Amino acid sequence: MKHENVYSLFENVTELTLEKQLALLADISQRFASSLNITETLHNTIQQLLVYMDAEAASIFLLENGDTELVCKECAGPVYIKGLRLQASHGIVGKTVKTRTCQMVRDVSKDPDFYHSVDVDTGFNTRSILCAPLIVQGECIGAIELINKKGGELFEDRDRHFLMALASAAALAIHIAEMAVALVEQERMRKELELAREIQLNLLPAADDTQFPVQGLNVPALEVSGDFYDFFRRDDGLIYFNLADVSGKGMNAAMLMAKASSLLHHLAKKMDDPGELLARVNDEICETVSHGMFITIVSGFIDVNQDTIRFTNAGHQPPLLHHRNGDFEEFPANAPPMGILPGTEFPVTTIPLHHGSLYIFTDGVTESLGANDETLDVAGLIRLIRANSRQTSCKRLKNIVAEIHKPGISQHDDITMMLIEYRPDE
Amino acid sequence: MNIQSREEGGYAIVEFDGDVDLSCSPEVRKFLLRCLAEKQNLLVDLSKVSYIDSSGVACLVEGYQTAKNKKLKFGLIGVSEAAMSVLHLARLDKVFPIHASVAACLQKDG
Repeated sequence: MKHENVYSLFENVTELTLEKQLALLADISQRFASSLNITETLHNTIQQLLVYMDAEAASIFLLENGDTELVCKECAGPVYIKGLRLQASHGIVGKTVKTRTCQMVRDVSKDPDFYHSVDVDTGFNTRSILCAPLIVQGECIGAIELINKKGGELFEDRDRHFLMALASAAALAIHIAEMAVALVEQERMRKELELAREIQLNLLPAADDTQFPVQGLNVPALEVSGDFYDFFRRDDGLIYFNLADVSGKGMNAAMLMAKASSLLHHLAKKMDDPGELLARVNDEICETVSHGMFITIVSGFIDVNQDTIRFTNAGHQPPLLHHRNGDFEEFPANAPPMGILPGTEFPVTTIPLHHGSLYIFTDGVTESLGANDETLDVAGLIRLIRANSRQTSCKRLKNIVAEIHKPGISQHDDITMMLIEYRPDE
Repeated sequence: MNIQSREEGGYAIVEFDGDVDLSCSPEVRKFLLRCLAEKQNLLVDLSKVSYIDSSGVACLVEGYQTAKNKKLKFGLIGVSEAAMSVLHLARLDKVFPIHASVAACLQKDG
């Protein structure tokens, strides 16, 4: 059939019939083109087809489950078979899909491929079948089937030609409608992620006080982030802070982030010891965490009056202290991440700031790629800190993150950074 | 990344080769959990791992936790320098049982 052209399709058709066929084909094609509601389109098409082709029944089967099953998506006639599932190799419809050629069987009782079970189950008497494959972009996606010409007549070549022409338009319409469904789903997911991101942003502290001793910034790689940070001044004057990185990315990391962040924010109002705080939250997280997810975190309290920072580092990148004299000092983790072992102890480190600056960051900062595809590393971060050392803490943090997160360079991981800095007069 | 496995001394030995990152961690996870589902003690050979990210580490953590819950043995062997630096940075070298080789692990088991 592949060498037949549009003229040969209709060579044995009377002028009147050809006119009617073209009108119907145009009408159905127009319906396909104007509707993305595939259920409605298929329903109308099959009803029209049934009437025009003088068939007793019609159905559309599509391949599903990795092309192992044929599922009836629409039907018309005395027996309702919508939802019927056949093995992809069964019946005339299976042969049509397998050979990707139109099958015209004038007496099914003589065809070994005819699948009797449907007739046995429904009581319908199938005599003849006309079935055309639905092919789009070289791929067979199913078949359209007509059963029994009314009045005991037989399907003719002109019926076969017409059904094949219609099948091409139908296949394209189904393909477009499926793409439309996928696009709608994609858009729904995008909106949900946007909402999740908005909720997540609300969990981060407001950046409205540029004079506050703690400043933070987060740039997620995906719509939602596995990184988080928090800081707030307690009623007794102590400032609580944390910066953390949940393993993995996307929605599951964001959900664990929301839980851990909320627990820490709540308990840090009442607990004074950073080690005990993390131990308590770790035990809670360990009860429900799954998929091996864990949280690396630096969490602690600042006493500005005493100039002390007490913190714990649970499996996180070492914070970087920029001393007043220009030296840098790292504080490596002294406990594993949260979420792995219940009962873990988290040792506390106490340091004075002595007018220095403490930088806490995720590996999205040090592993960010520059224009030459080289990672920034701690050495690169130190260069950026030095280059911006005359800026205010707020401006400095923004400049550093802007240097790391350049438009046009793909961002593989969330970028999150915190700066703790206070002066004697603050 | 390639995965190879064999059995020795009552352990399934699973060897990873190359980068263990987000692109292959679902496969790594599936492989490790399948071994544990078959009630096999597990040793993960990281000697040929050139890079491991947090999703890869999460697979090891989940393997370790699953083995613990099933009362099975789990350990790492021949950890490469690249993998060890990540584990050490996060203090996970204090969490996982780490052995120089299969023989060293079996000797320790007695």
